[in-house]
Amino acid sequence: MTESAVNALSKHPKTTVRASLIGKRIPKLDAPEKATGLSRYIEDIKLPRMLYGKILFAERPHARILDIDVSAAKALDGVRAVLTASDIELVPFGFGKDNTALKKERVTCVRDEVAAVAADTPEIAADAVKHIRVTYEDLPVVTSPGEALKEGAPVIHPEVPDNTPFRYDYSHGDVAAGIRQSDVIVEDTYVLHRVAHCCLGTSGIIAYFDADGKLVLHSLTQVPFLYKHELSGIVGVAPENVRIIQPPIGGGFGSKLDIHPFEPICVFLAKATSRPVRLVFSREEEFLATPTRQPVVIHLKSGARKDGTFTFRDVHMTLDNGGHTSWGATTPWIMMRTFSSLYRVPHVRQHVDVVYTNNIYACAFRGYGNPQATFALESQVDQLAEELGMDPLELRLTNTQDPGETTGQGMILRTCGLKECLEIAARNAGWEEKRKNVGQVIRHATVRERSGKRNKDVRPEDSSLVRGIGMASLFHVGGGAKIYRSDGCGTILKIDDFGGITVLTGSSEIGQGSETMIAQIVAEELGLPIKNIRVINNDTDLTPWDVGAHASRTVFIAGNSALRAAREARGKLVDAAAVRLKRKPEELDLEEGNVVDRSNGEPLESIGKIIRGLHFGAKNKLIMTTDFYEPPSTSPDEKHMGNISACYAFGTHVTEVEVDLDTGVVKVLKVCAAHDVGRVINRLGIEGQVEGGIVQGIGYCLTEEVRVEGGHILNPTFTDYKICTTTDLPELNISFVETNDPAGPYGAKGIGESPLIPVAAAIANAVYNATGVRITELPLTPEKVLMKLKEAWS
Amino acid sequence: MHKVLDKVELSFIVNGEAVRLKAMPHATLLDVLRNDLELTGTKYGCGEGECGACSVLLNGKVVNSCLVLALECEGSQILTIEGLSTNGRLHPIQKAFIDYGAIQCGFCTPGMIMATYALLEANPSPTAMEVKRGLEGNLCRCTGYRKIVDAVLSLS
Amino acid sequence: MEATKGYLAPRTLVEAAQFAQDGKATILAGATDIVPRWTRSLVEEPELIVDVKGIEELQGVSQANGEVRLGACATISEIESSPIIQSSASVLAQAAGRVACPQIRNRATIGGNLCNASPAADTAIPLILLDAVLDLASVSRDGITLREVPVVDYFQGPGSTILASGEILTSIRFRPLPSGVFTAWDKFGTRPAMEIAVASVGIALKMEGKRITHTRIGYGSVAPVPMRGCRVEAELMGNPLSAEVIEKCEDAAREEIAPITDVRATAAYRREVVGVMLRRMLERAQGAR
Repeated sequence: MTESAVNALSKHPKTTVRASLIGKRIPKLDAPEKATGLSRYIEDIKLPRMLYGKILFAERPHARILDIDVSAAKALDGVRAVLTASDIELVPFGFGKDNTALKKERVTCVRDEVAAVAADTPEIAADAVKHIRVTYEDLPVVTSPGEALKEGAPVIHPEVPDNTPFRYDYSHGDVAAGIRQSDVIVEDTYVLHRVAHCCLGTSGIIAYFDADGKLVLHSLTQVPFLYKHELSGIVGVAPENVRIIQPPIGGGFGSKLDIHPFEPICVFLAKATSRPVRLVFSREEEFLATPTRQPVVIHLKSGARKDGTFTFRDVHMTLDNGGHTSWGATTPWIMMRTFSSLYRVPHVRQHVDVVYTNNIYACAFRGYGNPQATFALESQVDQLAEELGMDPLELRLTNTQDPGETTGQGMILRTCGLKECLEIAARNAGWEEKRKNVGQVIRHATVRERSGKRNKDVRPEDSSLVRGIGMASLFHVGGGAKIYRSDGCGTILKIDDFGGITVLTGSSEIGQGSETMIAQIVAEELGLPIKNIRVINNDTDLTPWDVGAHASRTVFIAGNSALRAAREARGKLVDAAAVRLKRKPEELDLEEGNVVDRSNGEPLESIGKIIRGLHFGAKNKLIMTTDFYEPPSTSPDEKHMGNISACYAFGTHVTEVEVDLDTGVVKVLKVCAAHDVGRVINRLGIEGQVEGGIVQGIGYCLTEEVRVEGGHILNPTFTDYKICTTTDLPELNISFVETNDPAGPYGAKGIGESPLIPVAAAIANAVYNATGVRITELPLTPEKVLMKLKEAWS
Repeated sequence: MHKVLDKVELSFIVNGEAVRLKAMPHATLLDVLRNDLELTGTKYGCGEGECGACSVLLNGKVVNSCLVLALECEGSQILTIEGLSTNGRLHPIQKAFIDYGAIQCGFCTPGMIMATYALLEANPSPTAMEVKRGLEGNLCRCTGYRKIVDAVLSLS
Repeated sequence: MEATKGYLAPRTLVEAAQFAQDGKATILAGATDIVPRWTRSLVEEPELIVDVKGIEELQGVSQANGEVRLGACATISEIESSPIIQSSASVLAQAAGRVACPQIRNRATIGGNLCNASPAADTAIPLILLDAVLDLASVSRDGITLREVPVVDYFQGPGSTILASGEILTSIRFRPLPSGVFTAWDKFGTRPAMEIAVASVGIALKMEGKRITHTRIGYGSVAPVPMRGCRVEAELMGNPLSAEVIEKCEDAAREEIAPITDVRATAAYRREVVGVMLRRMLERAQGAR
């Protein structure tokens, strides 16, 4: 819906009599509660007679379950239930319908859930789990897709004898023609690794059945309505009898997009004990038993004409699907869109194999495959630039799309600020200057060889440092991805007798500030201070439907829904004020809690009084409005074509690094980021998203890795799984490009995932610029970098 | 069958209030704060001193409460996040965190604020590097730390 | 003695040593290494915890008669900020400042760091440079018996020390290095903070005229125990600090250490990094003259 159409809903559009709230720095509405320690996260919630759940994990990657003896566990004091697969109805779930809450015959990865306990205290539950005796028959372990695809490989799921549950193919144009048109062609393989979400709050859930037999869950889900629907089928409760309450969560980043086995397990424990059960993971369980980002091996071949125009991309991807399927298996759908549509490219072909192994599996993680795809693509764009003898910036600018263009995969780029992002990020980073100063290939030499005579003014550790600068862009959905039959969000709004607003929104707050953004939009439309706005977003019994927080859709879709509900309320309010004040509606505006004279801003009547006049006067009305906003996007067809989002996000990062040639340590010095966000709604919130995404991306590129060997996780603790600390923070320079998308609320597009997407590619390109060595495998640990440096210079 | 040990009586001062309770020998200060005293503002993040989410002040020094046994706290003064604001009046550190956008999911926030409190007590005008070093034991996954550092510097 | 009590906090060394006598007590100082082990179920919860932090002889940092004394329960932050340590053993203060993070440093003790006996123990290498000795106390019919062990001899293997059953580490002593001794220490990890060292190196070096007359070298995380670099010391003693000597030292260092491959790094990379760190420190020593 265009802004003019939305405006038509409100017969009395805003003027700019006062400063707008849009673009301002608005502190997060729930920040005071969080700053005082009063927020109750899942582990802080205690219900009367609550029991504590704990799961027995297989801790072996592939085995037949021969017997489970729970007698010793059951005999312990304070143990109220011990469940195995034989005690529950096993309903397969997940995208591949290949997972069950508890495993019956076989385990196919170390984190498989074999039994569960509910007990009076967490200590008793932990003890009980240790007393469960499982007899396994170990089976040969498949540790890679390569092994899984070999002749005679063990079959991991009997329904999929070739271990390849999914294959995807996509093409637009004609790659053979593209190859013929190319003056240069580059081909390379990029290996992307597993990383963990590392939410500071670990996973958890509380389940109980209320007096009416209704299932109530305190759940961390990001997709409450889809979750309600799917979970009800798994646990055998009618969906209308399931209520989801969402407490504040200690981080999401996509980890809460799926149904995880521990969730129905907790429901079964609640059913078996007729008491509330809380099941919360320890940090070690969090590393063991929550899915990771999707690892992938990307083989990419691409070409360009000598004037720099891209001709084709040919992509082959192999995904390690692990022992069960979660959302990771669908990340190729997003990855495809980067390969087909980041920059203009007429001929694209992609083939993807998703292969079972006995490794741990993957779910959604900020970017949903795009960081992986962008790493490959933007590394190769630099490789093409080198073959062409072109500046990487110039090569990119040669291929940026224009606003209004439709990509080869059918995505309509109504607004596209990629060109501006490239130029701004490059300018802010001093691209031209810095590219001139940095040598391309620096011979590895110790300080003695290099200078012969030691330079006493230079510290020894500084003389082996080299600097480089690199860039990468991103293209992502900015308003959902039409992953479900409806991509919509509902809003219910009411104004009370004192000018207080309650907004019920279906959208979920996962730490990203969606509730503040919604309050800001409503406050803007109704001329009320933000402190008058109360947002309720965490109870499926109260809030209208929303498909969930993902695909960077919340500001666009939930924002539009709230905006429309607010505009309708605005119209009713101004109409009522016009009647009461005996003025024409077009002479009035709403500001600071009052109806004001539009011409001079003079307050005429408080909004509360207008409402009370309506309520208790002859008309006996109250103002309540509703809206359900379905974005104008389309589901992809069987060929994966379609405009899946109503708008798209673009951005560029230009990153400076310093590499220690003697140790391989890469330090990120500065990131200049420019993001096309359509319009900034909450400047404080949006900066926080960008800064947080960049730092997550730095960890992704340099230090984080879930190390899996023989199916086992080697580093399930923060000691050896290294996320960034304060001392890793580089200098950040962030710009926003406002392309004012006509479909977005005030022109806004999504931002949630974008900032993480190009980080690793920009760093790798900068490392190449600094050292002349191209590394195509993440993470760029010091050891890996040093090894590659030595290989290159030996 | 494991040996059942006796609970031991224990008294200390939390947020200015005298507390007396009984704790198991292996119970951590974190356990006691959260479960016995229901001061759930202090968080469990990892249980092994690697994330700082459980940071409190023990006799004026910032520590990971997951690594302090409750019984070690006999007679001690403990300050938790709940002890910073009084009757809805926010401590300047809390106010700065709110105003500077240094809070997203908020899970790391109590620990981060307590570590900040300790830092500023010892060093009222830290440089940016000193702020980073003072908070190096507190992990945050959401904010990227920049606004946290800005918030703390605004107080110096 | 109330063995069912589970937690005891004796006030005197004699009491503590008596509790420790049968070898069943777990001595508790800072708790930062030991508590995670039982909360992660790597070890059983101890039956008897003996908290030694209240014992006078185990406290503080002091200097008397030309000797610096650290109580075993001196915390890492006390050591980091102690003016005595900063002036007499700056490498030790430096290493203390790089342990984990403020929360850990406020609780962890030097005694705990040494008794935990990780090859990565941050305080061990500076103590090797200082020729420190450790005082071990045990109780017998005649009261407290003390014996003195040089720090290099204290470590027997990863997690293992020379402490006999019932012995308690009470203090660590060293003489401040004479003036003119150059010292340096560094540890290497993949990020600047919260790191268990992939490798650490320390050097102490004194030159008279053009020749090296005193040297100590120490390596951490590259052998089963914190070790002294005797081969490098041999290359240095009596020689000038020249480019050739430094190169020989780099090679000798790589040869004399015995690193393993673990989740943090490969043996090959540790060798590489130790050589680089040593070379840089020696070059800095060169430049400092």
